Amino acid sequence: MKQHDNFADQCCWNGILPMLMEDCGSVWHDTSMTPQPLLVSVVDDDESVRESLPDLLREFGFACEVFSSAEAFLASDAINETRCLILDVVMPGMGGPELRRQLKFRRLEIPTIFITAQRDTTVRSRMLEQGAVECLFKPFSDTSLLTALNSAFQAE
Amino acid sequence: MPAEKEAGADQVKRLQRCINDLVSLLALPASWSGLEPPQIVESLLDGLMRLLALDLAYAYWSAPIDSIPVEILRVARAELSFADSDGICRTIRQCVGDTPDSLADFLPQSIADQEFRLVPVRLGLHGELGLIVAGSQRPDFPSQTEKLILSVAANQAAIGLHEARLLSEQRRVAVDLDERVAERTREIQRSNIKLRKEIAERRRAEHELRRSEAKHRVVVETASDAVVSMNEAGVIILANAATKRIFGYEPEELIGRPLTLLMPESLRGLHENGYKRYVASGQKRVSWQGTEFMALRASGEEFAVEVSFGEMTADDQKIFTGFIRDISEKKLADAALAKARAELANIARITSLAELTASIAHEVNQPLSGIVTNASTCLRMLSGDPPNIDGARETARRTIRDGNRASDVITRLRTLFSRKEINFEIVDLKEAAREVVALSLSELQRNEIIVRQEFADALPPVKGDRIQLQQVILNLLRNASDAMTGVHDRPRLLSVGLAREDDQVSLRVRDTGAGFDPKVAEKLFESFYTTKHDGMGIGLSVSRSIVEAHGGRLWGAVNDGPGSTFGFSIPCAPSSGEERTVSAHSSERPEAIPKYNRRRPSNG
Repeated sequence: MKQHDNFADQCCWNGILPMLMEDCGSVWHDTSMTPQPLLVSVVDDDESVRESLPDLLREFGFACEVFSSAEAFLASDAINETRCLILDVVMPGMGGPELRRQLKFRRLEIPTIFITAQRDTTVRSRMLEQGAVECLFKPFSDTSLLTALNSAFQAE
Repeated sequence: MPAEKEAGADQVKRLQRCINDLVSLLALPASWSGLEPPQIVESLLDGLMRLLALDLAYAYWSAPIDSIPVEILRVARAELSFADSDGICRTIRQCVGDTPDSLADFLPQSIADQEFRLVPVRLGLHGELGLIVAGSQRPDFPSQTEKLILSVAANQAAIGLHEARLLSEQRRVAVDLDERVAERTREIQRSNIKLRKEIAERRRAEHELRRSEAKHRVVVETASDAVVSMNEAGVIILANAATKRIFGYEPEELIGRPLTLLMPESLRGLHENGYKRYVASGQKRVSWQGTEFMALRASGEEFAVEVSFGEMTADDQKIFTGFIRDISEKKLADAALAKARAELANIARITSLAELTASIAHEVNQPLSGIVTNASTCLRMLSGDPPNIDGARETARRTIRDGNRASDVITRLRTLFSRKEINFEIVDLKEAAREVVALSLSELQRNEIIVRQEFADALPPVKGDRIQLQQVILNLLRNASDAMTGVHDRPRLLSVGLAREDDQVSLRVRDTGAGFDPKVAEKLFESFYTTKHDGMGIGLSVSRSIVEAHGGRLWGAVNDGPGSTFGFSIPCAPSSGEERTVSAHSSERPEAIPKYNRRRPSNG
């Protein structure tokens, strides 16, 4: 495989690889298990985000489920299957950090990537301090998302 | 012959003596000048006594001016002088009586037992002056020459006396005149003094008046207010220099013109009535201290003034004076101030610029994020083998829609944060609601929401801002739609109802969603961050502000069944009969200030 200068590109290349297969093959990460795409759940009250992310994630080779609220996510079955959480910080009702707390109470430690429209570096540092994998500012590039995703899965 | 020669010589001697005597007599008047009549008569008698060697000489004359006639008697011999002179005078007078002197040569008369020959000579042309009597005891008295001398003497005496009288009259007249002149002079002096005093008084008073007038004139002339006085007939009698600046008339132009010249035509009748009423009854309808009126400039421009009146009486005439201040600029300033305040209130609605910016950024970043993600996905799909054309098409479509969403956010922001002057127009809420539902229908239906419209038939129009009301309706629709996103076990029913309630029109949006806890109902109305579809939708708090600014109310309630109902009611537009002017900033209602408080749900 071609050596790439940066990890992101490498991941990108790796991400494309599954596409070359007929089916959405398994993500390179876990070859020992049955080829099932990893579930990434997206929780964001913003419709634009909810519409656009799934296709991108699928392009990356992940499975994706979207929820318009933290409550909806908590109420769903996906909480047990989700391998990574892409989470908006500010939402009406329960917000992102609160959802993480709730998951902690349920002994669910899901790697979380925060996405937020507030370009506030203090928010980012706070999220990172609290253990988030990454906190991306909207709009974010696909590569930065991919980087974050890889970080999330690398941590496992 | 010696006797004839002697007789001739004697005669010559006698004649010479006579001529000498006559010359003496003729010289007498010269010595009489300046003498008083008595002195003249005395001088004459003395002269006669000497000249004619008389034994006595008597004069009686009446100076018409003096009331008492004067008698003077001269006697030659001493013994006669001891006798009763008054008696002698009387005797002589009696003897002479009224006898004209031309007839008798002499009158014999015994005086003091002695015989005298008396020769009377009348003084004056007609003897009116008086009488001289020469008396002698000589038997040859009077001779021809002596008679001549006596008559010449009498003439001279008359002349002298006449002149003396004239002189004395002149003197008297002169004295009188002097007296009169002196008196008149004294009078004049006296009145002069009085006059001078009066003049001084008057000058002083004038000076005082002038000074006081000058003081007042300075005040009036330099007053920045116009000062205009009118008489009882309403005619201007005084105007100060400020009228030029304020009204555009030179003060002289205004004198004699009616006061109503300075008022707008439409107000002249009102003024006339008010003035008549005051004159008749003393009743004042307006305060005479600082009342606002409209006035009229020479250019025809109407402008606001503040006037204070005064009334005074001078010479039984009433004079009304007005102090007129041009407050048009002040009014403009007040209006500008009010406008500035409104703008400030406007700005105060935004809690802070940073927050606003953050909000804008936040709301715009959502669709932007969508755009970036969709485009990235699109590229990836197109790079696939085979390229995922359908997928790419979908991402492209979503990109366009997100772009529009971003644009809408900006537009909505500008609309919301622009000057919130409600443009009141007649609005048909039914049409407005239909429009909003139509616009939202595709989205609602995509969310599998069944939309029902229940509009009453005859709905009166309301007065309000169409766009703002539509924003409220949209907000309610979106909230209802969002409330039902988690609903799967029952139909997602959204019904929009419009009905008339008394003098209001009410719109209700009912959903079958999750409902809300009535206890936290108020919190709903505080939410600014509402989300979702258009990024910067107006929240319930703004909706409420808009509705309240229209004189209505917005409310929400939980349904009997599932879901909640939100609605608002707006007063109907008044019918044409009772049209009332509504200003954009109604002074009766405080302008509703929507609270744009960013309420962040607690997230640690």
